[in-house]
Parts: sequence; structure tokens; C-alpha cells
Amino acid sequence: MPKLSSRPPCVIELPPEPRAVSDNRRPRWVHRLAQEAGLFLAATMLGIAVILYCVVFLIAQRHLPGGFELTSTVNSTLPLVLAAVAQTLVVLTRGIDLSVGGVIDLTNGLAAITLDGSAWGHAGQPGTGSIGTMILGSLLVLAVGGVCGLINGLLVTLGRLQPILVTLATLSIFQGIAIRVLPQPGGAVPQGYTNLLANPNWPTSVLWLVALAVMWWMFRRTRFGVGVYAIGNDAAGAAAIGVPVASVRILAYVLGGVCSGAAGLFLAATATAGDATAGNTYTLTSIVAAVLGGVSLFGGRGSGIGAIFGAFVSSMIVNILFFAHIDPLYQSFYEGVFLIAAVVLVGGIGHLLRRRY
Amino acid sequence: MAELDGVQAEPAIEGRGLSRSYGGVHALNDASMSAVAGEVHALVGENGAGKSTLIKILGGRTRADTGTVSVGGREVKFAGPDAAHRLGVWTVFQELTLLPWMSVAENLMIGREPRSRLGLIDRRGMERRAEDTLAALGAEHIDPLALVEDIPLSQRQTVEIVRAISYEPDILFLDEPTSSLVEREVVWLFGQIRRLRDRGTALVFTSHRWNEIRDIADRITVFRSGRNVGTFKELPEDDAVTLMTGRRLEALYPQRPPPPPAVPALALKSYNARGVRDVSLELRKGEILGLGGLAGHGHRELFFSLFGAEKMIAGTVEVGGKAVRIRNPREAMRHGIALVPEDRKTEGLLLAMSVRDNATLAVLRRLARFSILRHVRERQLAQGLIDRLRVRTPGLSNPVGALSGGNQQKVLLGRWLLAEPNIFLLYDVTRGVDVATKHEIYELIMRLAKEGRAIMLYSSDAEELAHLSHRVLVMREGRIAAELSGAELDAEIIVSAAVRDRIAT
Amino acid sequence: MASSAEPVMPGPETPVPTGQDAPLLLRLLGSPTRRRILYALLASIVLFAIGQAVRPGFASPSGIRAVLTIASFVGLVAAGQTFVILIGGIDLSVPWVLNGASILMVTSSLGSNARAIPALLLTLGMGTLVGMLNGAGIVLLGVPAVVMTLAMNGIMEGLTLGFSGGMTCAACGSYAPPVVQAAVHDSLFGIPTALLLWLVVIVLVSVVLSMTTFGRRTYAIGNSPRASFLAGVDVTTCTIGLYALSGLFSALAGIVLVGYGGQAALGMGDPYLFQSIAAVVIGGASILGGRGNYIGSAAGAISLVTLVSVLMAMNMPEYGRSIIYGVIILVLLLLYGREDAER
Repeated sequence: MPKLSSRPPCVIELPPEPRAVSDNRRPRWVHRLAQEAGLFLAATMLGIAVILYCVVFLIAQRHLPGGFELTSTVNSTLPLVLAAVAQTLVVLTRGIDLSVGGVIDLTNGLAAITLDGSAWGHAGQPGTGSIGTMILGSLLVLAVGGVCGLINGLLVTLGRLQPILVTLATLSIFQGIAIRVLPQPGGAVPQGYTNLLANPNWPTSVLWLVALAVMWWMFRRTRFGVGVYAIGNDAAGAAAIGVPVASVRILAYVLGGVCSGAAGLFLAATATAGDATAGNTYTLTSIVAAVLGGVSLFGGRGSGIGAIFGAFVSSMIVNILFFAHIDPLYQSFYEGVFLIAAVVLVGGIGHLLRRRY
Repeated sequence: MAELDGVQAEPAIEGRGLSRSYGGVHALNDASMSAVAGEVHALVGENGAGKSTLIKILGGRTRADTGTVSVGGREVKFAGPDAAHRLGVWTVFQELTLLPWMSVAENLMIGREPRSRLGLIDRRGMERRAEDTLAALGAEHIDPLALVEDIPLSQRQTVEIVRAISYEPDILFLDEPTSSLVEREVVWLFGQIRRLRDRGTALVFTSHRWNEIRDIADRITVFRSGRNVGTFKELPEDDAVTLMTGRRLEALYPQRPPPPPAVPALALKSYNARGVRDVSLELRKGEILGLGGLAGHGHRELFFSLFGAEKMIAGTVEVGGKAVRIRNPREAMRHGIALVPEDRKTEGLLLAMSVRDNATLAVLRRLARFSILRHVRERQLAQGLIDRLRVRTPGLSNPVGALSGGNQQKVLLGRWLLAEPNIFLLYDVTRGVDVATKHEIYELIMRLAKEGRAIMLYSSDAEELAHLSHRVLVMREGRIAAELSGAELDAEIIVSAAVRDRIAT
Repeated sequence: MASSAEPVMPGPETPVPTGQDAPLLLRLLGSPTRRRILYALLASIVLFAIGQAVRPGFASPSGIRAVLTIASFVGLVAAGQTFVILIGGIDLSVPWVLNGASILMVTSSLGSNARAIPALLLTLGMGTLVGMLNGAGIVLLGVPAVVMTLAMNGIMEGLTLGFSGGMTCAACGSYAPPVVQAAVHDSLFGIPTALLLWLVVIVLVSVVLSMTTFGRRTYAIGNSPRASFLAGVDVTTCTIGLYALSGLFSALAGIVLVGYGGQAALGMGDPYLFQSIAAVVIGGASILGGRGNYIGSAAGAISLVTLVSVLMAMNMPEYGRSIIYGVIILVLLLLYGREDAER
């Protein structure tokens, strides 16, 4: 805004309003709380879930969970975390991405045959790829994820189709391609790669998690990030103030696709092999995690950090049920109940927090 | 009435031969207008005369079907609002474009956020910048950290104006900027308008308040039925009305029936709802009770809560002398109350459904036997209504969205006529309706009053209130601030009672 | 044709020949919704021709009967899905309501004809109740339909797995009562009873949608819940009723499926979510609500199932079917599922 300061000072014809310039204002933290109600609630939920987990763990195992439990939880949750962030990117633009599971299927299958170079006839034992094949394979997998997102984005934006229908159709397509790429579960992920992404003995995955959170923090502070939120708030209003709605929306789908691709990589690294159907469940669980994390399905509200919390809340629920010796057959039942309760709670508390002045 | 001939200066912006139609209805039909640097140019005309459409086209938000736009003498084609912004053309649209779940600061600074060395947006810096902007433009009472959704309508409007002004535009369009501002804020806005004019901005604004136009406009262009009918330096109000409506002021409004005897149809005592405070009033059978005041001062909430569509908080409601509780629209209908909402496109009609479906929606139960609809009877009923109200439609099964605004409004009114209520709550029902239809609606209202039905009428047009009502209650900040009757039934008096805020009194 | 669910605002130059007096052919082609039904049926005919070319006998009466019977299962689920999509909702709880219903049917009847009627009522009641809960959560608690029905799917999955011990329970291996099996497999006048049932459902649902106050209100809510509410429509009750119907039809499909296959199995509901939504959309309904009808969904179900059958007849591997399936839906959407540009 340099333009404004270079002009002569404005003539203000009215004396400043005497009443309430500063006393009427709420402190900054109240505003932050109001704006990010979903995020704070997700954090609270995660806190409660972790405490509950510690309690049932203590009762079952006679000691508190430690580093090993942390590492294995983060290792096994990271694919869901990435899928939830992918979902969030799309949901923030008032869309929904049902193809997340298909993209993970495809990228997971692809990872299993490219990381060790077997896809391009790399000599040597399966599962012993070089640094080169690992880097090349990773980039290829992420790029494929991005292309999947690009297809979705183009169809939604230029094809003017409903996101839910587009991604329902592309889900089927991506799943099909995934099975073509890796007809049988198999392939092999180099041990070194697993150690780098999801080391069972050393918390590398925690570093990735922190990196992801930082990336989200940065994303939120880019014009593109602001644009994504603006579209979800009101696409017409965003267009009126000059947000390039079409390109921002397409880019959001592309970035979502890349995140799903990363989820496929991490899934392959954790499982040390590929399975072209392993991603299917992530379509629904990514939506659940995003919603638990306070992301509004009506767009414009929520954050990737919340989705990360949401992903951990869902995996904590599974852990709690396990250590509380609840019949695993009932697991989906409790997940469903928790999901409804969380959404109602988030809605209700958010409403209370954000009462008008 | 001094019409201008020729243009003295090179126009800063000019639209020529602009037409635009929506679904077969001409919103703008071969309209032209221009504005020169350093002038305040008022556009006047009835609702639906095409002012907003013109501004949307010149502001780059909508494309014209035909016609040309030129800025600084060069013909341009705006791909979108940002293309207009690049040429220094900014617009405050009538429907606000602020992003509701983002802060005031984010809304003010979007697209020009200060960035840190990493190239990331510096949020603290952005909030400071927003605070400075608000202060520099005299709007420091607005909290830059608040969410837009949480601030009152008048502040939202102010933020929208501040955002446009802060770009120091060369050409600024303001579409009804004062519709929800109180007097103090209007004074502020006019100060800003004068300042911009003096530094050479071309300003175009629309307003329904004649005294504002008189105070600040250098030139006035009158619109009627999607076309400009003249540009003037001086224009007395009576002449303007004649130009705008195509008929004399007196001829537009039918004779009102004499005031009815005091038989109460609806009585409120210390009535409270969200945004409505301690309202007590009595509406008599056969009476037309006007409600005046600025947008956002509780009329809407009063109407909607009376109809059961919003929660009533405290007080008593008596219908025909009996205390009642109305919790939803169905109960309101059972008590003989009908509400015709303002926004017929989202709250009234089902645009994609047929004329018949829309007309009979409120009386479906009456038309059914064992919940199977009696087709023939429904058709007859709808056809009778269409004939009675002279709705122009190709057929009963045509989608109501394809009709013109006036005919749509007739269908909506007709829906409630079929329900035969005793109390009509009419919320700004002539908005966006052509003059001929307006006249028909006025006559319908009079007829209903003569039949002994009670009518509560809110209108954003003070003239209309003054001419139709037996009494007018002016609402301010959710309370009834004044009751006007007899000789006080005058548009100027209604407006001044509405805008007087606490500081001015 | 009472629903008259046209897209918003046809242009001024195109007269809309939907008047009752227009010639039959014009009326048939008049509205895009009806045109889509025609396309869907034409597509099925073409597909049958291709199938016949690929594998002679595909389009024989028995071949057609087999395809239509399978289509009727999708069609039953799509009936419920049509109801909720018409108000802009969606029912993702189909898979496990269907699966739960099929298991409840066999375990409560234990394969005996004497228990068939109570088991039938119990199962249909369960489906209806679950649907009502869906509707109540959506309209009373304000949970988005996607989340509510997704969670309900999980709840039903958990309950089904839990109560049946993961299909290890003694009663889980029971067969459907012989009367139910016979009812699905028998023929009347050469038409399989499963198809007759579907025909009855088609007529009933179409009558409800186009000729009753309930149907009219459904379209009204789908067009604008707010405007409908302000016109005195009981949006709450209607919404709950519509989701209840969806649950009912899922349960009915579950019963018919165990009658067809004899036994229940885990995961037998999974394909029906995708297919039911696809059938409704191919049949011309708008996913945003307010537009479409059940004849369309039925036509959609037939063309979808025919497509799958043809691909199977061509020995197309699974991946190919999956890809072609998605591509065809996309193509159909691009042909007529576009939103109107606003500018």
C-alpha cells in the first residue's frame, strides 16, 4: 500500500468517535480463538485422547507409553495425516475429494515399483534401489499425484462439474490404473527408504510431521493460501477483489494430489511394499480426520494443522479401543459415534465462542 | 431542470449502448452514461431500473451483451474486476463482497499483504497496516482483528467502502453505499467522497435518499426500465420522480381507504427478538401499518420472528385478541399470518419450479385428498390466480425463474392470497419491480385493506411508506423510535426520523 | 408430469414445450431430465447390441432378464438415493445398512418360512429407523449429510460385525427363508418376480414424487429449503422421512439380495454406494437437489449395469472396467451435468 502513504494526508471531517475505540475491542487471543475455534477444539480433543490413551495403556501394560509408542503411532498415522491435509486443501475451496483413496492406491503401487528402480529395469536385487532411483521414484510419484489433482481441478473448474461427482468418477479411474500398475500386492521398498521416511527405531517421521506443519504454516501465509480460503468464503466475493479463482482452485487440487501422492509414498515406506488397494479406505478416513480437525465441509474454515490433529485423534481412538480391550469388531461403531459427537460438539462450542458483539 | 448538452470534458469512463439480459428479462437495454474526473455523478431510478447492472458492467463484474466501455477514451474489455482495478476503476457493490470468515484486516489487505523477507505474508504487519488504513480514513472504530461475520452490517459496509477508497481510485462506483449507514457514517462517507472528488476522482453513486443526492451530486442521470432517460445538473425531486416512474407522483399511488375502526388484528407487547427490542404495537383490521427505518435496524427480524421463522425472545403476541405462541411458519399460517419476504429469489420462489408449483405451495394440503394432489383443481386454482393478478406467463408449467421480476413478485403475492390470511407481513415487496406492477401491487394492498385484512408493510422506499400507510412506525436499533401519522406521513420526515442517531439528537 | 423440474431459466428464444398440450414427442424431449432418460435407455440398447456382437446370446431374452435383474438391485438402492439427492443430500450409509439388513434377515429368520414375515418387518424397520436417525442428525443436529451418513455407515458396520461376531455366529450361515428365495427367483408371466417388484417400486416412487404433496414438497426443499420453510413446508419432518425411505430401500435391497444369493456375506453392500449414486446422476438428477426423477435413476441403473455386463462379457480385466466406468461417467457429466456459468 505505498500508494496511500505518498498521498497528502486525508481530511477527516468528523472528530474521532469518542466512544469505545480500544475498550470495545477484544484482545487478540479472543479473536484468534474465535477464528480458529475448530483448531483449538481439535487440539483439546487430541489432548483428551492422548490422556485417555495413556490411562488405558498404563492399565493394560503397567507402564506409560514411551518413545517406541510415539514413533510407531506417528509412523502409522502419517499417511492418514497427509491424506487429511490433501482433503483439507480441497474442502477449504468448498469442494470434496473422493479420489484421495484412488490417488493413494496409484501412488502407493507406483512407489513399490519405482523406488527400487525395478520399473525401469534397474539391475540388482528387488528392494535395494540406489539413492538415485529413490529420489527419482519419489519425484515421479509426487508428480503423478499432482497430475491426478490437476485432472480433478481442471474438470471441476473448466468442466464446471460438481467436485463430488468428478472425484467419484476419477476415483474409479485412478483405482483402475493402480491395479494395472501393480496387479498383485508386492514390489519392494528399499530398506534405506523406509528408514528415512518411517524408521521404526528412530522418530524420523516426527521430523516429517513437523516439516508438514511448518509447510502448512507457510502456505497459510502465501497469496495462494489466502486465495484458497477466500474462495471457500465466497468465490464471487473473492473474484470481485481480484483473486484468480480458477487458477487458485486448480492449484489447490494439484497440491492436494501431491499430498495424496506423499501419503502413498509413506504408506509404501511403512508397509515396505506396495498394494494397489491399500489406499481405498483413505477417502473416507481423510474426510473424517479433516472434520474432526475442525475443517468445515462448507469451505473457508479450518486448517491443515487441525486436520493433522484430527488424523491423530482418529488413530488415538483406535489405540484406545485396542488397549481398552474393546472388541475390534466394534471399532467402526465407536468411530462413527465419535465422529458425530465431535462434529456436534465443534459446531455447538464454535457457536458459543463466536457470539456476536 | 437543466439538461446538459454535450460533454464539457473528456469522460473518465464511458459506457455506450450497453445491454444485458438475464433469462429473457432485459436488465439493461441500450443504456449509456459517462463520468468525468472530479465530479460526483448520481444515478437515480427505481429498483430494477438497471443502475446496479450498469455499475456491475462498468466495474468489470459482469459482461454486457452488447455495447462498449471505454476508460480514459480507450475502449476496454474487462475480463474481471481485477482488470478494472488495474485501470483504477473500483466499485463498492450493493451486495457486499467481504469474506465472512476472515478478519477485517485480511479483507482490507487481500492481494497487497505486506510480506516478510521470506516472501511470506507478515500477519502482524498486515494487521498494523489495516489499522493504519482504517485510522487514516477515519474508521478507527472498526476492529481490524474482528471477523467480518461478527461485525454489524453498517461496519461491514464501511469496511467495504474503506477498502475501495484506500486504493485511491481514479474512478469509483458506489452502489447504494448509504443503504445501511447511520447519519454519522453518511457524513463520514460524504467527507471522503468530497476529498476524492477534489483530488480528481470520478465518482458515481446511487442512492434512494433524495436529500443525499441533492447534497452531493454534481450531475444526475435518471434511469428507467434499463435505459438512461436524461442527465441533469439540477433536478427537482418531483420532476425526477416523474422521469423515473413515467407518471406523476400522485398517479402512482392509489387512494388509501379511510382509517379503519380500532379492531386489533395483531398486538405486540414488549416484544423482543434478536435485533428487536421492546417493541409494542397494535395493527388493526383493515389498517396499513408502515414500518420505516434503515436496513439492518430490526425490521427483518421483527417480521421473520413474528412469522415463526426466527426465535422470539420475550413479550406477548396477540392475534385477534388471543395470546398466541408462534414457533414456526406453519403455526403462523394457522393463525392467519402471511409473510412475503424481500428476497424473492432465495426466500420466496422456487425459481426452477413451475408457476403452478410456486403458486400453490402454501395451500397444498387443501388441494390433496389422502395426500394425492387433485390435479385439475390445482390447475384451476393457479389459473384463476394468474388471470386475477394478470401475471404474464406463457403457461402454468413454465419455470417461474423465466418470468420478469414484476411477474415473479405477483406469483409470490398470489401464493399468499390463495392462503387467505388475515394478516399480511409485506417486506419490501416492490423492490426490483417495474412501475406498472408496482402500481398493481399498491392497488392490491388497498383492496386487501378494504376487505378488512391487516397489513404490516416495510419498505426501503420512504415515499412508498408515506403514500400507502395509515400510520408509520420508524425503527432504529431495534426499537420503535417514532410514530408518524396524518401530516407527518412524509418521506423526508420518515428518513430524518430514521437516520437521526444518538449523537445528533 | 408434475415435477416440472427444469434447469433455471431457459433462454428467451427457446420456447419450452412442456405445456400439457404439446405433442407427445416434444413433451418427451422437452425437458433435459426427460432427454437424459431417453439417452440412458438408448445407451442401454446400444450396449446390448455391442454385447450381442461380442458374445452371442448376451441380448437373448434370458440374457436381458439376467442383466435387468441385477439392475433391479441397484435400482432399489437408487430409489432411496434418489429421494435424498432430490433434496441435495446424499446417503453414504447404504453399504452397511444393506449388509446389516441382509445379515439381520437371515439371522432372524433362520431360514424358516414361519419366521419370514416377522424377519421381513424387523429388517425393513431397522433400515427405516437407521434412515430416520440419519435424517434427524442432519436436520436437527445440523451435521452435514456427508458426515452424518458416513458416520452411520461406520456405526452400522461396527454393529453388524460386532453382533455377528464377524460372521462367525451360529445363525450367520443360515439361508434366507425359501419363500423369500422363491419370491426373488420365481417368474410371473415369464417375468422374474425381482423385476416385477422393481416395476412396482418404480410406479410407486414415481407416483409419490409427481402426484403427492410429499413429492411436491420434496422438490420444493431441493430447490430451496429456505423458501420452502417460509412457505410453510415442514422441512424437518420431510427430511427425516426422505432419509427414512432411503434406509428402507437399502434394507429392501439387502433382503432381495439374500433372497437372490441365498446367504449373506460381509462386504456385499460395498458396490451399491457408488452404483446407486452414479445411477441417479446418470438418470439426470442434479446432485445439488431439486431436479430429477426416479424413472431417470432406473434408466441410469439399467445402463450402468448393462455397461458392466458388456465389459465383463468382453473379458475386460478389472482395471479396465474400473477405468472405463469412470471415464464414461465423466463423459456423461461433461455432456449434461454442467453448471451454468454465472457472469
